[in-house]
Order: sequence, then C-alpha cells, then structure tokens
Amino acid sequence: MSDQRTIDGVLADDQTAWDTLVARFTGPLWSVVRAYDLSPADAADAVQGTWLRLVESLHTIRDPALIGPWLFTTARREAALLSRRRRGERLVADPADAEHARSASADFGQAHADPMLAVLTADEGRRLWQAVDEMHEPCRSLFRLMASAPDAGVRQLAGRLGMPSGSYGPTRGRCLNRLRTMLTAREATP
Amino acid sequence: MTRHPSTIDDEFLIAALRLASGSDPVPARVTEAARAVFGLRLPGAATAHPMATPVPRGVRSTGQPQLLRFGAGELTVELEVSSLDGLVDLAGQISPCPDAGALVEIRTLHVVESRRLSPTGQFAVTGLPPGWFSVVCHRPERSPVATSWTRIRP
Repeated sequence: MSDQRTIDGVLADDQTAWDTLVARFTGPLWSVVRAYDLSPADAADAVQGTWLRLVESLHTIRDPALIGPWLFTTARREAALLSRRRRGERLVADPADAEHARSASADFGQAHADPMLAVLTADEGRRLWQAVDEMHEPCRSLFRLMASAPDAGVRQLAGRLGMPSGSYGPTRGRCLNRLRTMLTAREATP
Repeated sequence: MTRHPSTIDDEFLIAALRLASGSDPVPARVTEAARAVFGLRLPGAATAHPMATPVPRGVRSTGQPQLLRFGAGELTVELEVSSLDGLVDLAGQISPCPDAGALVEIRTLHVVESRRLSPTGQFAVTGLPPGWFSVVCHRPERSPVATSWTRIRP
C-alpha cells in the first residue's frame, strides 16, 4: 500500500490502514529507541508514546512521505527524554515539557531524517554487517556482542571484551566512526 | 541515490545493526499496544499542551505530589500527580469551570475513567496504572479538549 493510500485510509478511520503503518514502522522504531540503551519497559513506553503523538497529530499530516521521518524524529525525542530521566533523576511523572510537546506535534515539515532512515532497510543492514566483518578487533567483536546482547550493560559488555568499563564507551564511539568512514568510502566508489 | 552515511548518527547505526541481526525482536505487546492506540483518537478534539508550572522541571521525586499544567486556548487543566504502591492518583482542576454537564475522562492505554466535575471544576481519580495518560474534558456543545499524552512511572 502506498504512503498516500495508507494515510488516506488512516484519516478515513480505517484500522487496517493504521495496522499497515504499525507493521511497517514498529520494528525499526523499536530498534531505534533501544539504541538509546533503554530497558524493554522504557523502550515500550517510548514506542507507545510515539504512536500516541501520531494519533494526537493526525490532523496535521500534509505530506504522507514525511510520516516516516516524523515518527523517527518523535521516537528519538521520546527515547532521549526517557534516557536522560533514567540517568538523572527519579521522577514521579514525565510531563513532556512544553518545548518537547510543541515540537513533537509541530508541522510534519520539520522532520528531516531521510539519510538515517535509509540505513534501516534489510539491504543496508546486510551492507553494514559485511563492513563489520571486514573490521579489525575489537570493533568486530564489539558490534557482534552489542547486537546479540541488547540488554547487556556496559560493565558486562566491557568484561566480555576484556576491557575496562571506562574504555567501552570511547571504543564504541571510535568503532562507530570507523564503520561510518567505511560506508562513506563505499558510497564514493562507483 | 546519495545517502550521505556521514550524517547517520550512532543511534541509527546501532539500530540498523541490531535490526539486521534480528536479535532484538519487537515484543508482541508493543505491536498490540501500537494497534490499539488507533482506538484512542479523538476527532475534533483540541490538544492542551504542557505549560510551565511553579514546580521546577526535573525536580527529584520527594514523595510530594507533582503539579502539571496544560493549556488549550482559554482552558487550563491542572493536575496533581501522586503515586502510592505503584499506582497513580490524579487530582485535577479545570479552569475556567465549564458549564454544568461537563464530563472528564481520564484515559490510559488500558482503562478509561469518567468523572463529573464538581461545581468548582475539580475531579479526582485514584489507582491508575503507570504509563501514558491523557485527560479529556467533554463540554456540552463545544469541542472536547484533551491534554497531551503524558507518561507516569512511579
């Protein structure tokens, strides 16, 4: 079903069209919020919050092509908020602050994430893992471990990689930069 | 198509790696909840957005109720949120007080509670499940006003 037909269906109160959106985007949304190191419970809240904001904002949809970027922008905002709160204070309530709520429900035209969305396809996933297979250690093991144990904490991951906990974050950052560089080089190759 | 991988941030790279590895599938309850959310739409309702409150944002939980304030046009919804034994209590005030016959619905993903407003525009509900909630004010012959969905975790 095309984006336009799906959105037309959603705006016409068609649950089947909504289910199509859910089937298409919930997996990638889940992966994106989990990448913020959220627990399964917090990740579930972030994904639910994203769909709730869409229900709140349905009437503002003008360009169906922007619905994907909008969903991911909103999910990242919800995940970042939860991640910050979880690391910092233990709150009774998470009142989406005024700025957050307004921007989340703002014009769909503000969502720009196309290059990032392109990476969340099966083809890109295969390309990424091919690149990882060509990487040196510790990056190769780090990515394999990180993907296979999404609930493992930093201490556990660092221990299994044989490095101090304090080294895990910087090493992960360097490995991600290297992976990006490899992808950029491949893009540049005709 | 040019994808500009250098603009892909860490979270998207990690998400793409995990998605392709298939080792972190979406729990069925997350997908079910996403489908069910469609039943919570309120055509024609105005959204009341969060407004600044006297309580500083990011304040630590001290067991004291937290004050939330939402506004849409001239209507303000103020909520005192407190939690006990893992459940959530809300005490609310709608200002200005709507005409007689106004009804408040407190919606979560799982339950909907209805309350008649007191003559001064107050209402209360106790024992809500933690998670997302929204308060809807239904007024006679006027569009409903719904507070922006807000998350509570005791």
